[in-house]
Amino acid sequence: MKILVIVSQTQDTEAKIKVSAAGNSIDTEGMKWIMNPYDEFAVEEAIQTKEKHGGEVVVVSMGPARVVETIRQALAMGADSALHILDEGSPDMDSFAMGKIIAGEIRKLGGFDIVFTGMKIIDEESGQVGVQIAEELGIPHVSLVSKVIEINPSANKAVCQKEIDGGHMVVEVPLPCLITCPDAMNEPRYASLPGIMKAKKKPLTEVKVSDTNLDGLARVKTVEIKVPQIERKLRIIKGQDGPMVKGAEVEKSAEELIKLLREEAKVI
Amino acid sequence: MSNEVWVVADLKIDGSVRQVTFEALSEARKKIAGKLGGELCGVLIGSGVSGHAAELGKYGAEKVYVVDNELLKDFNTEGYTIALSELIKKHSPAVVIAGNTVFGQDYFPAVAARVGAGVTMDAIEIDLTNDKKLKIKRFSHSSKAIPTQVFLDHHPMMTTVRPNSFKAVEDPKTPEVVDGAVTINSGDIKSKVIEIKTKGSDRPELTEAERVVSGGRGLGSEENFKYIYQLADMLGAAAGATRAAVDAGYCPYDMQVGQTGKAVSPNLYIAIAISGSVQHFAGMGSSKVIVAINKDPEAPIFQKCDYGIVGDLFDVLPPFTEKVRALVSQS
Ligand SMILES: Cc1cc2nc3c(=O)[nH]c(=O)nc-3n(C[C@H](O)[C@H](O)[C@H](O)COP(=O)(O)OP(=O)(O)OC[C@H]3O[C@@H](n4cnc5c(N)ncnc54)[C@H](O)[C@@H]3O)c2cc1C
Ligand SMILES: Nc1ncnc2c1ncn2[C@@H]1O[C@H](COP(=O)(O)O)[C@@H](O)[C@H]1O
Repeated sequence: MKILVIVSQTQDTEAKIKVSAAGNSIDTEGMKWIMNPYDEFAVEEAIQTKEKHGGEVVVVSMGPARVVETIRQALAMGADSALHILDEGSPDMDSFAMGKIIAGEIRKLGGFDIVFTGMKIIDEESGQVGVQIAEELGIPHVSLVSKVIEINPSANKAVCQKEIDGGHMVVEVPLPCLITCPDAMNEPRYASLPGIMKAKKKPLTEVKVSDTNLDGLARVKTVEIKVPQIERKLRIIKGQDGPMVKGAEVEKSAEELIKLLREEAKVI
Repeated sequence: MSNEVWVVADLKIDGSVRQVTFEALSEARKKIAGKLGGELCGVLIGSGVSGHAAELGKYGAEKVYVVDNELLKDFNTEGYTIALSELIKKHSPAVVIAGNTVFGQDYFPAVAARVGAGVTMDAIEIDLTNDKKLKIKRFSHSSKAIPTQVFLDHHPMMTTVRPNSFKAVEDPKTPEVVDGAVTINSGDIKSKVIEIKTKGSDRPELTEAERVVSGGRGLGSEENFKYIYQLADMLGAAAGATRAAVDAGYCPYDMQVGQTGKAVSPNLYIAIAISGSVQHFAGMGSSKVIVAINKDPEAPIFQKCDYGIVGDLFDVLPPFTEKVRALVSQS
């Protein structure tokens, strides 16, 4: 099987967020860059698929030179080769343009059986590029797959479970198809030391976005970013001896909390 | 191109219209349709769904397009994508809105790609600029940032909206019902839904609830989640959970609140034995009042809640629930 996995590099959003001076982007100075966590699940699923059915895993990632680090991570986990779509920060890039460009490059690669992507990128959180790529490629997709039940290349189909409100859905889809991955669908493996060594020698092709015509491709522009300021009251009831409420304090703390919720917050 | 503003109804598995549809209609009327000078329209996609037109009218829809087709009986990605894209191509609306539900997230970006439209997901504010471009606000960076995005010169302009972000306000109209029949060949629907399992629940839905009671890994077992359900039922609240609790098998995935789970924004969020991770807060950080019960005084949640008790949930919760019960039976 030819298995594709589309990975992005993202700002580690555990970190503190600061808006840039221009006011419409995030200041990435000193920011830690990581493989998008959802894409780790996608890489793991791709590698497991190869382990079961044979074939190769090709990584595709778009972004500036630094994303090579993320590509190497995927290769170290067990992917076989990679395509880097180099974009040194085109000013008019949005999700729509990105999806078009990535899909265009995938089409050139051709001959794939299945494509895995993450459900969304955790910095911008645009949540659409995976599904859009499927649409541009003209292949069916199953989004937010909680479990790949079966991939059957000889019967040319995949069966996936997807969670819906109040239950779940099982979807059967013909290959080639695209699957978007949320968390917890598998346990992404760590790159082993030999894996990391091998990754350095795996083939990595580069194409440049500047070779693509971007005119009029973007649909949406970010004009401003604000950091929400929610002031919390921080009224914490603690114990007298030691932090936890104990004994008779328990009853009193419950009473006090109810009073606060009723009289101060007015929510019960 | 028309000036119409469309809200695509989101139907539950039982066929009823999801609340976010009414919220979106109300907000689109208030913020967009008037300024644009276009009609507010509802869109119903499914099989045997035309009966819902009156409900959409109740929240201001002046016109309702109905795509009624046997092949659309249950939600399926390709059927919905064909139905909505064909309808868009035929009538060329200015703005198209849907709820950011499991289904909206699934087919809306596909429709946008098919009709060449831009789309934003999970908006918490919608508006129109002076030159009549859709302008939205949403959360990014695990809810630590709120970007404002403006659409460029392409039509239509599409967005999904986060449930529970807007008030549903009635504005009764008798909508004109327009037959939106589109041709769908069964061969066009390549993916098949082979099973749908739902278990009914009497509790309100997480994304729609005014109050939410959630449990974390500290609950320790599926059995102990009864403490969460008891308090939730006492408060008429929805029940939620962290990913750690879901992973441990204490409760089903559809209770997960957070970046990968549901985004909720209730008046009251009670977090029990939840440490307060960035990913959990990405889904509930905008709640009006946050309450934490946790035995660890150093738990991060105590840095970002309104009220809290440092204590063992097994000590604190029974008397707390009992007092809530007394309060509820009084009123
Ligand atoms: C890509 C990705 C996506 C994620 N998405 C989500 C998501 O959508 N939602 C989500 O919730 N998480 C998500 N997570 C996981 C997240 O990082 C945390 O691991 C998770 O939220 C922790 O859950 P918890 O607070 O229940 O568990 P813990 O962090 O283990 O906290 C348990 C808490 O319970 C307290 N406790 C224990 N016993 C008691 C007791 N008897 N009485 C009172 N308190 C007690 C402890 O003091 C502790 O603070 C995601 C992670 C990743 C990497
Ligand atoms: N620059 C990128 N390069 C490669 N894949 C991407 C890129 N941006 C997004 N993706 C893929 O699309 C998914 C959804 O991203 P998004 O729509 O940006 O939230 C991600 O999890 C990736 O799999």
